[in-house]
Amino acid sequence: MQSRIIKNLRKDFLIEFRNRSALNISFAFAGITTLSVSLACGGASLSSQVNAVLLWVIIFFSGMSGLSHIFIREEEEKTALFLSLCSDPENIYLSKLLFNIILFACITALVTPLYLFFMQVVPVYILYFISTVAAGSLAVSSITTILGAMVAKAESRGSLFTVISFPVMIPVLWISIKLTADSIEGGAPPEVRSILFLLAFSGVIISVSYLVFKFIWTEN
Amino acid sequence: MNIYRLVFIFMPVVIYMALIWAPPAAILGDASRILYFHVPVAWVSIVAFLVAGINSIILLVSEKNRREREFMAHNSAVAGMVFIILALITGSIWAKLSWGSYWNWDPRETSIVILMLIYIAYLSLYSSLKDNPNRGSISAVYLIIAMITMPFLVFIIPRIYPSLHPDTIINQERKIHLEAAMRITLFASIVTFTLLYGYIYRLMNRISALEIKAEEKHYDI
Repeated sequence: MQSRIIKNLRKDFLIEFRNRSALNISFAFAGITTLSVSLACGGASLSSQVNAVLLWVIIFFSGMSGLSHIFIREEEEKTALFLSLCSDPENIYLSKLLFNIILFACITALVTPLYLFFMQVVPVYILYFISTVAAGSLAVSSITTILGAMVAKAESRGSLFTVISFPVMIPVLWISIKLTADSIEGGAPPEVRSILFLLAFSGVIISVSYLVFKFIWTEN
Repeated sequence: MNIYRLVFIFMPVVIYMALIWAPPAAILGDASRILYFHVPVAWVSIVAFLVAGINSIILLVSEKNRREREFMAHNSAVAGMVFIILALITGSIWAKLSWGSYWNWDPRETSIVILMLIYIAYLSLYSSLKDNPNRGSISAVYLIIAMITMPFLVFIIPRIYPSLHPDTIINQERKIHLEAAMRITLFASIVTFTLLYGYIYRLMNRISALEIKAEEKHYDI
C-alpha cells in the first residue's frame, strides 16, 4: 500500500514538474496576491486582527487556485480510469492528499514570510504563529482534497470549487484568524486548545474522506 | 393513521399557547413569545440536516433503493434550508428586540449562517452534477461532510467564543431556565414543528417517488 502511494505521489510530482504551468500559476498567484495586498496597504500600520484577516484571505485564495487541480487534471486528461485500474481508491486518495498537503505547505511557506516581510509584522509568539499557520493549512488541504475530487466530476468546476469549499472552511478560517491575531499581538497566552481543534477538524475530515472517497471515484 | 397529520390539531393549539396562554417573560415582555417559534424552527433545521446525512450514509452503504434514498436526502436538505432561513429571520427579529440590532456577528448567529451556506453549496453541487450518473453518491458524500461539520458549528464554536445569545436548552448546567408554562409551551411547539417537518418531508418524498415512477415509464412531468 505504501509503495503504491509513493508511486502515485512520485507520478503526480513528475507530471507537475514536466508541465510546470499549474505549479507556476499557483505560486505566481500566491506571490502576486501577497505583493498586491502589501502594496495596496502602502506601509500602513494595521491592527493584528486586520493583518490576520489579510494573511488568511491570501492563503485561502492561493489554495483555491491550485488545490483542486490534482483531480481536475486526471479528468481533463482522461487518465482517471487508468489510475483506477492500477490503484485502489484509498491509495489514490492518500497520495492526492499528501500531494495537496505538500503543495499547500510550500504555498504557505512562500506567502507567510513574504507577508510578514512586506507588512513589517513581527509576531510576539513565533512558535504559536507557525503552529497556527501549519495547523490551519493542514485543515485547508484536507478539506479541499475531498471537495476537489467532487468538483472534478461536476460541471463549471472553477467557480463551483470556491462555492462548495468556502462554507466548509469558514470554521477553520475563523479559528485560524483569531489565533493568528493573538500570536501577532501577544496579549493573551497561547491557546493550545484551539490548535487542537484545528488538528481534530483535519483528523475527522481526513478519516471520513478516506472512508467515502471510493464512492466519488468509482461509479456505482 | 399518518402521525404527522396531528400537526393540523397541534399547530392551532401551540399558536394559542404561545401567543395567549404562556406568560410574557420578565424583561422582554410579549416580545419573548418569538422564542416559541425561533427555537423549534432552529431545532427542526438541525433534525432535517441530520436526516439528510443519515439517508446519505444509508445510500452509500446499502445497495437497495438508491434513487429513493438520493431524493430522501436531497428533500430533507431542502426542507432544512427552509427551516434554517426561518430560524435566521426569527433570530434577527429577536436580536433587534433584545440587543437593538438585527445582526450582531454573535458566534451562534454566525454559525447558523455558515451552516446555511454549507447547504446552499450542497444545492449548487447537486445541480451541477445533473448529468453525472454518480450524482447520488457524490452529493451524499458532501452531505456527510456537511453533517460532521455541524457539531463544530452548533456546539463547539459558540462555546469557545463569548456570546450574547442566551443559553440553549443544552447548556453547561443542563437546566432549562424557564417557568413551567413557558417550558410546556416551548416543548409543545418543538414537537409540533417536528411533526410539521415530518408532514412536509413525507409529501416531498411522495412527489419524488411519483417522479421516479414517471421517469421509469418514460413520462415527462
